[in-house]
Amino acid sequence: MCPRTTDPPEHDAVVSVSALTKRYTGETGRVTAVDDISFDIQSGQIVGLLGPNGAGKTTTVKTVLGLVTPTRGDVSIHGVPVHEARSRAYNYVSAVLEGARNVYWRLSVRENLAFFAGLHGIDPRTRADRHEAIIDTLGLTAKADEPAKNLSRGMKQKVALGTTLARETPVLFLDEPMLGLDVETTRDLPTELQRLAHEEDKTIVITSHDMDIIEAVCDRVIVLSDGDIVADDSVDNLLDVFQSQSYRVQLTGNPPAHLREQLNTRFKLLNWRTDTDTAEFKIALAGSEEFYECVEILQTAEATIRSVTEIEPDLEDVFVELTTAESVSPEETES
Amino acid sequence: MNRHLILFRVIASKSVTLSRRYLVNTVVGFLTLYVFFALIFFGGQFVAEELISRSVGPLVVGYFLFTMAVSAYADLTHDLTDEAQWGTLEQLSMSPFGFTEVVAMKTVVNLLGTFATGMVLLVLMMATTGTWLTIAPLSLVVVGVLTLLPVVGLGFVFGGAALVYKQIEKVFPLIQLSFAGLLALPVQEYALLKLLPMSQGGHILQRVMTDGLRVWELPIFDLMLLVGQSVVYLAIGILVFRVGTANARKRGVLGHY
Repeated sequence: MCPRTTDPPEHDAVVSVSALTKRYTGETGRVTAVDDISFDIQSGQIVGLLGPNGAGKTTTVKTVLGLVTPTRGDVSIHGVPVHEARSRAYNYVSAVLEGARNVYWRLSVRENLAFFAGLHGIDPRTRADRHEAIIDTLGLTAKADEPAKNLSRGMKQKVALGTTLARETPVLFLDEPMLGLDVETTRDLPTELQRLAHEEDKTIVITSHDMDIIEAVCDRVIVLSDGDIVADDSVDNLLDVFQSQSYRVQLTGNPPAHLREQLNTRFKLLNWRTDTDTAEFKIALAGSEEFYECVEILQTAEATIRSVTEIEPDLEDVFVELTTAESVSPEETES
Repeated sequence: MNRHLILFRVIASKSVTLSRRYLVNTVVGFLTLYVFFALIFFGGQFVAEELISRSVGPLVVGYFLFTMAVSAYADLTHDLTDEAQWGTLEQLSMSPFGFTEVVAMKTVVNLLGTFATGMVLLVLMMATTGTWLTIAPLSLVVVGVLTLLPVVGLGFVFGGAALVYKQIEKVFPLIQLSFAGLLALPVQEYALLKLLPMSQGGHILQRVMTDGLRVWELPIFDLMLLVGQSVVYLAIGILVFRVGTANARKRGVLGHY
């Protein structure tokens, strides 16, 4: 039996992840890919899942989708426990996992949409108009009858997104949806994703390395590092937390050799560059006390300050900060 | 429309679309089977004319069954490894119907295609040899399906294993070759051999096609044994496939290739 409920049950969180842990036994021993993470996603949210390579993004997504069995922890989508009732959960979720590789290259765009709709029990003959609308929205009308293998990588990526939309699930997981897309589509797709979230109440989870897109599209960002969540907050809050903490300092003349080490020991020195007669560094300072302390150290070292500029952080700065330095817990970012 | 029928329809539609779009491949594949039979028949006549002329009937039936068995097995196992390589296997597994049902439905569609091409090949073989077998269509389909189900079971076993151990696909051709041996086993002399997949079915199908027996004219014990064998092999196959799928999910290698 394969029940399909048109109206999903009401739940506060459409995706709920609790104490999720995944350990693999590899050649080098036991590896913890995902380490006891928990988060909820509300209906209509667009959530970005970020992390450097090996942070556990893919394992997290595949475990949430029921494609990888967790070592421990629970996942539910629309109240359906994914790992106990996998088939039932798939009434509510679909995904683009490997972009261009997720479609049948020998089938046309239309045929791909029809096939994947049918795979979800939706009669494609009754959804012809909707499929045409999806094809039109994705700018594939001229290529609708072309086998996917003849399309560019970006277009195949669009077909994969189209097949996900054809499955008509309320939750979408999109792994690197912008990969290989042309400039025009990269510009248009965020608008389309926001339309899906706001007008069709779709809940969308995006993993991407493109910080600009995440910043432009997502309501909220979860940052993973070493299998753990190091930040989970709205994009605005994350930017606020890191606001006014980073400065670019320019010095005239060559500062004494010990200055760099002294600053690095006391503060978070983000980079350091010296020229023949100037030095420039980027430094993170928590509050005014640290700012004055830094200035005092510079004066004691007899360094001549040429300029101090406050850096407006973007999401990429936040991401680098979170994943390369000490972990910041969600509580810390919220404070 | 019933949701399971929708699933059947889109899988069948995809299969027909691809066969038509790549018509040359389809025709060449079919012709290869026919030419290979012609080589066996005419070459055999050249080497051992008397032997071949005595066993034309069993040769036609055996080749018909062998090609169908290879097709039923290879369609299932190769589909799984191909889908993993294409990146669509995880998408199939994310169907509300469940991965096993989707794969089973693909197998049903493949079997229908196999039967359709098998029948055309059979007619061509009979025309080539000039030996027209007495074929009762219903009996042929019933016994044919029951004979092929254990092969499908084997397909599920090796397909399930391939989800976990990707290198196992290298032994697939060997398994296919073994079908010829299974069909030729002397089940009349050694009754225990009847328990092996296809051996009993192959023997019964020979009688249906060369002696013109109807399914209800077959010894009830032989028929029950064939039914039991089909059910058991298929059940074992599906069980192993499900265990393989669960294991692949545990290792995180379901979509790997």
